[in-house]
Amino acid sequence: MSDATLLVLASTLSTGLILGAIFALVAAGVTIVYGCVWLPNASNGQFFLLAALAAWSLVGVGWSSAAAIIGVLVLGIALSLLIEWVLVRRLYDVPDRNVAYFVVTLGLTQIMSGIFAMSWGLWSDQFTLPPLVDGITMIGPFPMTNNRITVLAIALVVLAVLFGALRYHPYGRALRAVFQNREAAALRGVNVRAIYRLSFLLGSSIIFLGGMLFALAYSFDLTVAWTMSVTAFAIMIVGGPGSVLGALVVGMVFGFTQAVVSIFASPTAATFSYLIAMLAMLLFRPSGLFTR
Amino acid sequence: MNGRRLAFALALAALAAPFVLEGNRFLAFVFGIVMINLLWASGMNLLYGFVGLMPLMFAGIAGIAAYAMVALTREAGWSFWLATPVAAVGAALVGVLLGLPSLRLKGFYFTLCSLVIQTVLTLAFTFFPRFTNGDTGLNQIAPPDGWGGVPLAGVWFDATLALVATLGVLLSAWIVQTRLGQRFIAIREDDVLAEVMGIDVVRNRIIAFAIVSIYAAVGGCFYASYVGFVSPRSFDVLTSLGIWLCVAFGGRGTIIGPIIGTVILAPIPYLLQELQAFKDVLSGVLIIVVTLVMPAGIYGEIMRRRALRTAVALRAQAAGDPAGATATPAVAAMPGTVDAGVAR
Repeated sequence: MSDATLLVLASTLSTGLILGAIFALVAAGVTIVYGCVWLPNASNGQFFLLAALAAWSLVGVGWSSAAAIIGVLVLGIALSLLIEWVLVRRLYDVPDRNVAYFVVTLGLTQIMSGIFAMSWGLWSDQFTLPPLVDGITMIGPFPMTNNRITVLAIALVVLAVLFGALRYHPYGRALRAVFQNREAAALRGVNVRAIYRLSFLLGSSIIFLGGMLFALAYSFDLTVAWTMSVTAFAIMIVGGPGSVLGALVVGMVFGFTQAVVSIFASPTAATFSYLIAMLAMLLFRPSGLFTR
Repeated sequence: MNGRRLAFALALAALAAPFVLEGNRFLAFVFGIVMINLLWASGMNLLYGFVGLMPLMFAGIAGIAAYAMVALTREAGWSFWLATPVAAVGAALVGVLLGLPSLRLKGFYFTLCSLVIQTVLTLAFTFFPRFTNGDTGLNQIAPPDGWGGVPLAGVWFDATLALVATLGVLLSAWIVQTRLGQRFIAIREDDVLAEVMGIDVVRNRIIAFAIVSIYAAVGGCFYASYVGFVSPRSFDVLTSLGIWLCVAFGGRGTIIGPIIGTVILAPIPYLLQELQAFKDVLSGVLIIVVTLVMPAGIYGEIMRRRALRTAVALRAQAAGDPAGATATPAVAAMPGTVDAGVAR
């Protein structure tokens, strides 16, 4: 193989890893909320974009990227609490609430995309965040910016912590108990409504973080929201709604797909393939690949 | 006023309106758009209000028919009046095909599936430009021919749309009270129970899909020739959601509800032409309000209040208690009022 081919291969690998980790992160956020609260968040792409744009604005007023990320996370938690309080809470006791939630988040998507078009959309059409760390590391013969390595590391660490916490931390165990059986969990003394709120906060925060990590690694525009929504839903459906492991595995696969497809076709082709995968899954195995 | 008289008055108003609005081209155009949306909304209402499925690929089916109609008139030289029924039958077949997922899915999974299909169709309209001219869209679509070879235009086009919409609403009202419509309602209320009672749920859903696709298709063909321009954005998911909102906002599962919803909501995008983004925010807010606060819509709310008042009065009469206050709690659970369940 020639050097050029190797370089393309290496860059595909690194792009696939970073995209895969971010996809997995966002999809994990969506799937936790769906599995627990039964809320399919169709506006996850808008949440993702909101965090990236907010970080861009904070950097614009002189904050460093690191400070902006922490600031946006704090704001994001406040916003999630507000949304939980105003919208999400109202349907906690409705049995067939997933359709209603889906429609509500579709409405939220329209509101947020309208707001973005009226504000950030007028200010710029390409956005970037300054790198978190400077410099370049050579991995063998291949250069990779320290910034992207950091982004990848943060994403993987968060995923690992999330996975571990769901398995071993008392809150994580309570959350999984509510996943499996709401009534039984309530009987065992789990405060179901508090767990709903916690998982909505957790899921949304992860999506916000995913958006900012993406903004650190790549430049973005307003259309990324739509692509991310489609991708996250496709990952959730293919991996199995409520399955964090499914989100991780399928997210990684989709990330690499995106990286490979982007070499020789438009990224829309990748989105198209996710849609078809989701459709096939819905038709033949709606419970997904990774659900027991 | 009873239903028949109200229907007659509304139909008369719709047919007279184009002649009243003749002086103001803009208002007449908005009226024509409202009529097309009314046809769409009464079709969507059959599936959403009476069968209980939320078809977000509705606009995609309308788009398929519109593009087919344009191709047939432009490239094969057909008349609009021949191309539209053919496109409608084709769209009904496509609609049934796209509706096949509903044989396995319902509720959220069906809605998600229909959203995915809608998205695939929008992408297909954009990336296979042979018949659609991609994102640029098709313009200068010829209007249908009228009497004596003169193209249909102006007030007579508006009147035609009013007539088509009126027939569409009347047809849906008729379907609802046939045995077919009663089976639809049984399926909406409880599909398992309906199956047990001997209703072929799959077959009835397929029939519903065929009917609704024809509504979507006819509306799409008229839309294309009335506006004279179509692009993939004319038939994207926001269009589907807008039609759904007309039904849900007015009152799903009633005949008058979608009319109320369409007359209030359909003109808004045209009146807020300068403020496209604001329009998105407004419709998002309305979607949330309808889902969370008044799932039965405006007409459902009116019905509920009326039923409540009647019940209170009846109770007061029976108990000889003119205040009727003691009767109120029992009324909340009274059958026959609109179910307060959330969107299915």
